[in-house]
Parts: sequence; C-alpha cells; structure tokens
Amino acid sequence: MNLFGKWHPGLMRRKPQTASSRDVHFEAEAASGLDELQTRLNQWSDLWSQDTDPAIRTAAQKLVAERLARWIERCFGQHVESALRGKGTPISLASSTPIFTAFLGRRATRELSRRVLQDI
Amino acid sequence: MPRLVRLIWIVLALHLTLGLIAYAHFLVTGQYAVLGWYFSALGTPFFLVMTSTECCVAIICRSWFESDEPMRLAWGMIASAALARLAGVVLRAISDGHLPWGNWHQLSQPPGALFVNLNQLGLVIGGPLSMAFLAFGLGRVLRIQRRFRLVGSFTRGDKALLFLVLAFSVSQLAINLPLLMKHPSLGTILLWMSDPLLSILLIEAILVRRSVIRMGQGLVAKCWGMFALAIVITSVGDAAIWADNHGFLSESMTALSWYIWFFAAAAFASAPAYQLAAISLSRESSVNQLEKR
Repeated sequence: MNLFGKWHPGLMRRKPQTASSRDVHFEAEAASGLDELQTRLNQWSDLWSQDTDPAIRTAAQKLVAERLARWIERCFGQHVESALRGKGTPISLASSTPIFTAFLGRRATRELSRRVLQDI
Repeated sequence: MPRLVRLIWIVLALHLTLGLIAYAHFLVTGQYAVLGWYFSALGTPFFLVMTSTECCVAIICRSWFESDEPMRLAWGMIASAALARLAGVVLRAISDGHLPWGNWHQLSQPPGALFVNLNQLGLVIGGPLSMAFLAFGLGRVLRIQRRFRLVGSFTRGDKALLFLVLAFSVSQLAINLPLLMKHPSLGTILLWMSDPLLSILLIEAILVRRSVIRMGQGLVAKCWGMFALAIVITSVGDAAIWADNHGFLSESMTALSWYIWFFAAAAFASAPAYQLAAISLSRESSVNQLEKR
C-alpha cells in the first residue's frame, strides 16, 4: 500500500459523492421490509428471553426449550437444567447461554444457538 | 462414549493385555527380563502416545476459546501441564530408557549441581512443574464452576481423605527439610514439592468431583470427572511408591503397582477428549435430528 498516495493532488481535489439514486431506492426497499424485520426481531426476542407464564408459550418457544434441554443434558448433565431454571420457568437461550459460553466458548455457543434456532 | 475416548481405552486395554502376559511370566519364572522389556519397549511409547494426545487435544480445546475468555487460560495451563509431562517422559526415555517414572529417591546428590542428571530433570518437569500448571488450570475452572454454583462442599469422607493426604505431605516435608543442611541439588528440592502439590490437586479433584455430581453425566462433566480420576490414580501411584520405599509391598505387588501409571495416563488423555467431544457436538445436528425421528 502506498502511504503517500493520499497526499496526491489528484486525490485531494476529490469531493465526497452525494447520495445516488441507488441509495434512494435502497431506502424505499428498507421501509417496505421494516414491519417484517420488526416482527422477526420480536420473535427472536421472545425466543431469547425467559417466559414467565408457561401457559402463553408458543410452539416455537416450546421447541427451543426442548432442544436446549437436550443440548444441556448431553453437554453438562441431567441436573444442570433444573439448576438453571429458576422457580419452574422453562429453560431459554438467555438462561443457558452463559454456562454454554463459559464451558464451550463463544464460537461453539454461537454454532449451538444456530442449531437450536434451525427451522424456527 | 466419544470416539477418541473409546480409542484411548481400547489402546489401554490392549496394552494391559500384553502387560498381564509379561506379569504372568514374571510370577511364574520370577525373572524381570520380559517385564523389563515390556515396560521399556512398550511402556515408554504408550506414555508418549497418551501424553502427546492429551497435549494436542488440550491445545485444540484452548483454540476454541477467545483471548478474553477465562477458560482459554485454564486450557492453556492444562495443555502446558500435558506438554511438561510429555517433555518429562522424553527426557527420562533419553536418559535411561527404563521405567518411565524412575526412582528419584535413590539418586546421588553431588553438591552445587542444579540437577543430578537428565533423568532427574525429566522427573521435575514431568512431576512438580506439570502438577503446578494443572493446579493453576483446575483452580481457574473451579472459580468458573463456583460462579454457576456448581461447586459443592466437602463431605465427611472428603475431609477424612484430605486430612490423611495433608498429614502425609506434612510428614514428608518434616523428613525432607532437615536434609537441606546437606545441600541437596535444586532438582531434589523441587521433587520434594511433589507431595504438597499433589495434595492441592487432590483438594481440587474432590471439589471438581462434587461439581460433576451436581451436573450429571454430560460430556463436560465427564471431562472434569476424568481429571479428578487421573489425580486420584496419581495419588494411589504415589502412595504405592511410598509403601514400596518403606518395604510395605511384596516384590509381586510392587511390580503390579507399576501398572497404575498407565491408567493415570489414559485418564489424563481422556479428559480433554471429552471436552473436545462437547465442543464438536455443537457442530453436529444430531440432537435436532433425534426429535425428527
């Protein structure tokens, strides 16, 4: 890389480009997909956090809890799950991620979370 | 059981089968020829394979943690302990090529020398230095386990065992400290640290075992359970050496006690193999597939 290149007179005369028609088009697209994005973010938030009321759990939340319970049992043991869930609340990504990260590392936990959320 | 762990124990079983044939020959004939050949020609390669496996797998486990994660340092220390044990085996194999653990208490002590010979250097690196690394690594793991409230308290049996081990360590130090007047080599003094370090490791092993009981039978729990088992087997081997030195063991029992170290090496190698299996599990979709069946 030529470090002196940035002092070249040709480069100094350059002005930053103004917003092009492509950027405007992108903004219009993003606005139309905002609702969908918001819905997805809300869904992920529900899956991530602990649900306090088991009665209003969705099928996706139940599936995530089942999968997490299996991973926890295989990685740590059958007793850890009960230690992680407090006062009868189901296991969630929020409650299980710290222990997975501590013992398996961030990289493995990311991969594991991806597996848990697969097809959901 | 993970594939690598199964392989380690199959290799141990095959190795012990040959070892028992050599032991049977010793019992029948009373001669050490076949037994000596077994330990020097097959025993040393077995230790080299097991410690190399342990070291390589521990380094792989360490690489799965990022630089700011506490377990990276813990696995770094465990890998260093395995590397020190490997270096110790290599040095002793180069030095004499006989029994891998040697007889350090019988070595002569020339004044002013750091180490009596290469064999003693190997014993120091593979013994106290390796134990210090492992003690530091397991200490880090216990801190993490305590954060998740997985570490349990000592039971009465644990306390009784610890009292025995601590009393033994203190008595050994009391015997060894007056010998400082005779200006022993640095290597000899460092070897005196083996018993206190083993006591620390045993305390950690008991605490780790308590946490494993609280966890269950998962792969991570088995990893730390294997470390606890390996430390307990090492303590048994150390006690056997002490009993042999004081004439408490018969000739046949002494020869049998040498086999203890093969179990310790296999347990040490299995521990990181379980951790690697737990990490590898995250890349498999087997758990998700189970529910589809």
